[in-house]
Amino acid sequence: MELQAVTFWPVAEAREDDVLVRAACDGDRAAFGLLYHRYVRMVHGILLCRVPPREVDDLVQEVFLLALRKLHSLRDVSRFGAWLGTITRNRANDYFRKTIPAERATEPASEEHAQTRTNDHVVEQEAAVILAVLRTLPGTYREPLLLRLVEGMTGPEIAARMGLTHGSVRVNLHRGMQMLREKLGENAKGTERQKQERATTSEPS
Amino acid sequence: MKDDYLWDGSGEPDPEVRKLETLLGRYRHNQPAPAFGQIMDVQPMKRRWSLSGLRFSFQLAAVGAILLIGVTTLFILRTRQTRNSGPAWDVARLEGSPRIGWHAMGAATGPAKLAVGQTLVTDSSSRASITLDETGRIEIDPSSRLRLLASGPGRKRLSLERGTIHATIWAPPGQFVVDTPSAVAVDLGCVYTLHVDDSGAGLLRTTMGWVGFKLNGHESFIPAGAVCATRPKTGPGTPYLEDASPSFRDALSKFDFVATTPPERNALLGIILTDAQEEDALTLWHLLSRVSDADRPGVYDRLAALAPPPEEVTREGILRLDQKMLDSWWNSFGYGDVFLWRTFERDWTQSPPTAK
Repeated sequence: MELQAVTFWPVAEAREDDVLVRAACDGDRAAFGLLYHRYVRMVHGILLCRVPPREVDDLVQEVFLLALRKLHSLRDVSRFGAWLGTITRNRANDYFRKTIPAERATEPASEEHAQTRTNDHVVEQEAAVILAVLRTLPGTYREPLLLRLVEGMTGPEIAARMGLTHGSVRVNLHRGMQMLREKLGENAKGTERQKQERATTSEPS
Repeated sequence: MKDDYLWDGSGEPDPEVRKLETLLGRYRHNQPAPAFGQIMDVQPMKRRWSLSGLRFSFQLAAVGAILLIGVTTLFILRTRQTRNSGPAWDVARLEGSPRIGWHAMGAATGPAKLAVGQTLVTDSSSRASITLDETGRIEIDPSSRLRLLASGPGRKRLSLERGTIHATIWAPPGQFVVDTPSAVAVDLGCVYTLHVDDSGAGLLRTTMGWVGFKLNGHESFIPAGAVCATRPKTGPGTPYLEDASPSFRDALSKFDFVATTPPERNALLGIILTDAQEEDALTLWHLLSRVSDADRPGVYDRLAALAPPPEEVTREGILRLDQKMLDSWWNSFGYGDVFLWRTFERDWTQSPPTAK
């Protein structure tokens, strides 16, 4: 898969965001469309931190439809990103509240299996395991790290979109990455141990 | 400093971060944007009344009355908007519990609507149908996921992310389009079945009329009785009639999606040309623009022997891929006027969907 490593975020866009939010509040759908393009990866990433991957695309659409309906209630247009982030997290929580338990029961028990049950490719399985491990990190580290590694956003872009300071995002990315390395290391050791145990038990006595 | 790369992508790339980016990038957002312009207008809600400061019961009563009037007005406005918006498709449960978003349909629930931006999902034991009076009816097989992208006048667009749909379209040609991860299917007046598997590969089978299939400038026309496979990144393969010989179909499939070296392609092309019958003219016509310059004369000669070109079509013109001559030859097969496609595909592919 050919990927763009990261995206760069021009500072001038911050001022434009305010203009776009005001225009969208006045019913300008094209402006809302531009906001969608600017914030969709943030919304996608926040959801991917919380709900099964297969549900994320649907919920992204629902979050933006909800934001469109509630835009008039946003008092400080400069807080659009933080406001949208809150709507997104609430929507993710609603997903678990409103989904019929029987339906959820048909979903794979662990997140990584949601994507891997049809993938027989080793690399795809590896990606699914890493995503699952990343999702076990504390929320403070999980969101920025996922936005950086999955959605390809830069630290400055994450800070601007989410209404955070550069310093806090930088620290969280650094600590989150450290924690992810440790957990992946533990995970690899555990897998190796299991393989050895299986090999021992399957040997003829 | 390695952390610079993690921070903003600058500096020396950290190999571990780079590896994680590459692996996890497959989960990155890649869906097309909803058509916000076609979503029904949402009236700004009035500011909520604050009850603080009210001292007398008659004031409370007045507030209550105003709220009641407000709620009734909003209800009437909403009902009118829904009626006027018109783009939602009627959804009927055929079997099991299909879902629209997270709302499951059951035997006890009535018909539902699929609005722009919403997704219809069927599990392994569910089937559903969606209908829009002015456009057509689509049956959705089990294990499918279908999203409504646009539903404006003269412009209906769905995205089949996985599964199978059976479409019967009575809208004028070119008004109904289905995006798949590996091609865009433009209805040109027809009945067809479209299948997309979990890898994003697709198969389109036309029963009546014809369908145009396109990705990144790679196009295929699939008339009634024909089938066309499509693959992510590669796009649509060469269409063929379902009753073509197994060796012909096998060679064609390998030619489209497997063979990469000139000797392999030459060998497969030899089988295709040898096995081709008169009815396979549609396949050879597509191959004219898919083979190398060196191979094109052979394809021309075989096609001309099976389906002689009209007077205005010359060998030289076809060998230099003159579009008018190619279109004229296609029209002589009697499947449908390629003018329809040239008119409508431009309109639809001006803003192509993201292909996985």
